[in-house]
Amino acid sequence: MAEIILDKVSKSFGSVRVINEVSLTIQSGEFVVFLGPSGSGKSTLLRMIAGLETIDDGRLLIGGKESQTLPPGQRNVAMVFQNYALYPHMTVRDNMAFGLRNIKMAAPEVERRVQDAARMLEMDALLDRRPSELSGGQRQRVAIGRAIVKEPAAFLFDEPLSNLDAALRVRTRVELAELHQRMNSTMIYVTHDQTEAMTMSDRIVILNDCRIEQIGTPMEVYTRPASRFVAGFIGSPSMNFLKGSYKDGAMTLLDGSRIAARVAVPEADTYELGIRPEAVKVCEGEGDTKGQVKVVEHLGERTLVHVHLSDGSAIVAQDGGRSQVQPGDEVALRFDISELHLFDSSGKAWHAE
Amino acid sequence: MTASSARQINLVGGIITLLTLIIAVLWAFPIYWGIVSSLKPENEVVRPYIELWPETLTFEHYIFALTETQIGRWYINSIATAVGATILTISTSMLVGYALSQLRFPLRRPLYWLILASFMVPTQTLIINHFVLVANMGLLNTWAGIILPQLINPVVIIVYKQFFDQVPRDFREAAVMDNAGEFRILFKVYMPMNWGVTTALAIVTFIWSWNSFLWPFLAVTKTEMMTITVGITQVSDAFGVYYASQLAAAVLAGLPVALAYLLFQRRVTQAITLSAGIKG
Repeated sequence: MAEIILDKVSKSFGSVRVINEVSLTIQSGEFVVFLGPSGSGKSTLLRMIAGLETIDDGRLLIGGKESQTLPPGQRNVAMVFQNYALYPHMTVRDNMAFGLRNIKMAAPEVERRVQDAARMLEMDALLDRRPSELSGGQRQRVAIGRAIVKEPAAFLFDEPLSNLDAALRVRTRVELAELHQRMNSTMIYVTHDQTEAMTMSDRIVILNDCRIEQIGTPMEVYTRPASRFVAGFIGSPSMNFLKGSYKDGAMTLLDGSRIAARVAVPEADTYELGIRPEAVKVCEGEGDTKGQVKVVEHLGERTLVHVHLSDGSAIVAQDGGRSQVQPGDEVALRFDISELHLFDSSGKAWHAE
Repeated sequence: MTASSARQINLVGGIITLLTLIIAVLWAFPIYWGIVSSLKPENEVVRPYIELWPETLTFEHYIFALTETQIGRWYINSIATAVGATILTISTSMLVGYALSQLRFPLRRPLYWLILASFMVPTQTLIINHFVLVANMGLLNTWAGIILPQLINPVVIIVYKQFFDQVPRDFREAAVMDNAGEFRILFKVYMPMNWGVTTALAIVTFIWSWNSFLWPFLAVTKTEMMTITVGITQVSDAFGVYYASQLAAAVLAGLPVALAYLLFQRRVTQAITLSAGIKG
């Protein structure tokens, strides 16, 4: 268990900058998820902490110890790989013990740790099998077990669930969250799956284009996204974006409708209005705007209604589970103005007060 | 499937079988001829017509080869040099292959090209240099002298490099995270994952070494230090060459390799396919 501090770390591959002066403090015992689209640098950042990629500039502190130049084995972190990387010719026991034997740990202590980890992960019966005799989920456990036996300062996970089928992924997600609570250790988890990020993490670090867009709790990044990128990336279905101009406490959209917006933007200008589908409701009578229904998606407890406004811009609204709306209907929409966001041309966000 | 198309397939299959059979006979006939000739008396061997079976069956040439020559000594020399060459070739090539494949050091690529290029050079062109070198080292007529030049075997290095290249990078990274040094990564992860290649390469290297003639022939002048392939040339006397006796010695020379082949048939075939991809 240890605090991890990244202080202005940078990394280039040749002339291409892949990580640009990233600073980040991960508290001891915290579960942090690095989330971002592919190519955002999230895996590279994790590998830099692991020591599998060098750090060109900046400092890395693991448990207060300067670690940016230490070899991977001496950083006291353990990593779980996407493809598990279990040695195929070794039994589960040998796979887990390999790292401990490499540091010449006494055999009884090795055995004790392997047994403890096996018990914790409920795989005592698998210790003498080889990886080829295990299912995907069991291999995943062994990979985690191999990390646990090292009793590391921090666990690093590189998209560990992406090779599992959907049902197993949900189960393993819960198990990982439980494991974190039980061990109370620092965990860094890389994924491109926002559900994993939202459900497991204490904090999410959203990366885009080699830098950090936002750091925050799952609800913070969802309700108060720091940029248009985060707003669009988090949430499914994603946030609606409508172009318009802001003046005197109201946004005028392209279809002419005026929406009261209590947002402290610095000046009157053209902005993009962002609002999540659950904050746009189909309503009776006069709404904030209206449009024609194109597609209706019944999800059971709620209904997503895809509407085209008169200027042609598309918006997704939400209606009750038993919605009677049909494609082709004209519907009025009401915006929950407490959940409005405005984004300027540079992507910076302002939130409704 | 209609009857006519089935007949067509049978016809094609038949032709292929026939062709294979003809080629097999062409290959096998010299071996058969050698064995049969070694079982004939000398005067029958030199008759100017083809006799597919000996008129008088005799084992005198085998008895001669086994009792009147130093064949026991030659076997020991062959085994010692072939085993030595195999162990040394495999252990050095595996290290070089691993370094070329997994380590990053200056001039790695040029070094690899050099090794690639070196196997375009036929051994025969280097043989005088080898001879002078080994003579200066005082190693003529020794096992070490026979073994040393045989260790230059770029094919083995290249096969190892290619196999190590194919090991997914995750395994190396997992081992690095597991605090394993390069030697442990090689011996505990990469070698066990490639045992098949190692056995296959060891078998072909052994066969190459056992069959080698030109270099052992030059490096050794004393009869008691000869390998078996060179020893065959000694089965003659001042009155000339005795074909049947020489063939008997040759059959004895080939026997261990033939037995090894029968035992490890599958591995040998695999090894030949492996090196064929490169050797062309």
